[in-house]
Amino acid sequence: MKSIGVFFAVAANSFYESVRQRFFLLFAVFAFTAIYASVLAGVMAVDQEARVLADFGLALMELTALAYALFTASSVLLREAETKTIYLVFSRPVPRWAYLGGKLCGALLTAALMLAVMGAMHLTLLALRGFGLPPCYAWAVLGSFLKLAVITSSAFFISLFSTSAVSTMVISGILWTAGHFVSEAGFLAERAQGAAALALKAVLWLIPNLQLFNARDAAGAACALPPLAFAAAAAWTLGACLSALWLLSRKEF
Amino acid sequence: MSAHAVSFSSVEKTYKRPGFLGAAYTTAVKDLSFEIPAGEITGLLGLNGAGKTTIMKLLTGLIFPTAGKVKVFGHSPAEGAAKARVGFLPELPYFPPHLRPVEALGYYGRLSGLSGPALAQAVRAAMDRTGLEPHAGKRISEFSKGMLQRLGLAQALLHSPDLLVLDEPVSGLDPLAIHDIRGLLAGLNSEGRAVFLSSHSISEVEKLCSRVLIMVKGRLAATVKRSQWEAAQGGLEAIFVEAVR
Repeated sequence: MKSIGVFFAVAANSFYESVRQRFFLLFAVFAFTAIYASVLAGVMAVDQEARVLADFGLALMELTALAYALFTASSVLLREAETKTIYLVFSRPVPRWAYLGGKLCGALLTAALMLAVMGAMHLTLLALRGFGLPPCYAWAVLGSFLKLAVITSSAFFISLFSTSAVSTMVISGILWTAGHFVSEAGFLAERAQGAAALALKAVLWLIPNLQLFNARDAAGAACALPPLAFAAAAAWTLGACLSALWLLSRKEF
Repeated sequence: MSAHAVSFSSVEKTYKRPGFLGAAYTTAVKDLSFEIPAGEITGLLGLNGAGKTTIMKLLTGLIFPTAGKVKVFGHSPAEGAAKARVGFLPELPYFPPHLRPVEALGYYGRLSGLSGPALAQAVRAAMDRTGLEPHAGKRISEFSKGMLQRLGLAQALLHSPDLLVLDEPVSGLDPLAIHDIRGLLAGLNSEGRAVFLSSHSISEVEKLCSRVLIMVKGRLAATVKRSQWEAAQGGLEAIFVEAVR
């Protein structure tokens, strides 16, 4: 039971520290960009303004939260080791799973709050322009959150063997980008032959298929995320967490 | 209670630094065997690079021995049962500057498994004991080095540990702060807690400790009891200089 208490203490501390540090700056960047884009869209989108504003806003929300999540996941362990705060943590009866889980939970809670606040800002902006709630909006935001869960846990794992925060962010960014082209890469793997095909298929096993979480790619009422998407997100997140825990349990400070 | 708070048995620690052309290995401590008796103040002296911090990290479970065994109250230092009985003050501890001491101590108390009224009581007691109570309203960014060191001690005391491990507890402090911390450590020891401290200040170690370990290049060069340095001409300093030359 004490370990659960430690888990919640780390999660709450991580959430509080994140909210205090860079939250509002990111919101300001998001609000400014979204308002600027809405003015541009009004001019350029002609009769598709509602669609353009909705898609652009959702993409911007995802990228803003992704920037936050990657920055946090790639720097938190490194910073705590550099400032030696980690000594005060791991010299106590703190299980490493509780620390890692708490940090991830705090980062995801912050990302969820960010998505919620940015979503509210986005919908307000749409309402001010005279548009209603875009179709599949909640599913799209949920899909973004699932992507963030997968990428953030992967970034925690990468940060444990990477040499710097920058390299963690770069590798995680590549993973996020590649995750949006898994179908295309699969098609290429089918067409390739010999060693190239084998190598491509092997690499595909290591890349999470983030296309599963793009709710608005589907048309009409089919935009609800399928159970497979939730199962895939849980499997990828758990796999990354267990791999990170395996590394962290061997790590010396 | 075990007669020994800590025992090192033929311990070796070699650090591996991965490099472009293969790993580099550095042995920090080698063939190290000693005990720290429960309820005593034991000092650790040595020049820079002698292995003092490595010993502190080994017995707090922050690093693992390459060979040999380390036991803390009969347990491996990595086990929760050992860590629950140890309070650690690293050299130059860092705390988030925007927090107030009560908030920082609250967090570390929760990490030690405290909660509710027991946590509030432990925080109050640690603040009171380390003289931080008058500064409770300040942010840590306003703290002097001496106050930060007191806060470091307070976080180590939160869970009433049986063994305090202190890395350079008086480094860089003014004489009054040193005096206060010395009094605090003596008081803790009088309650039966063991204290293991490393220092570059021979005079401080001489005043506080009943036993001193002298490390030279990763090996234990001498174990000196208070009666020995009190009987020696030139005191502990002469013994130390002799050992490290």
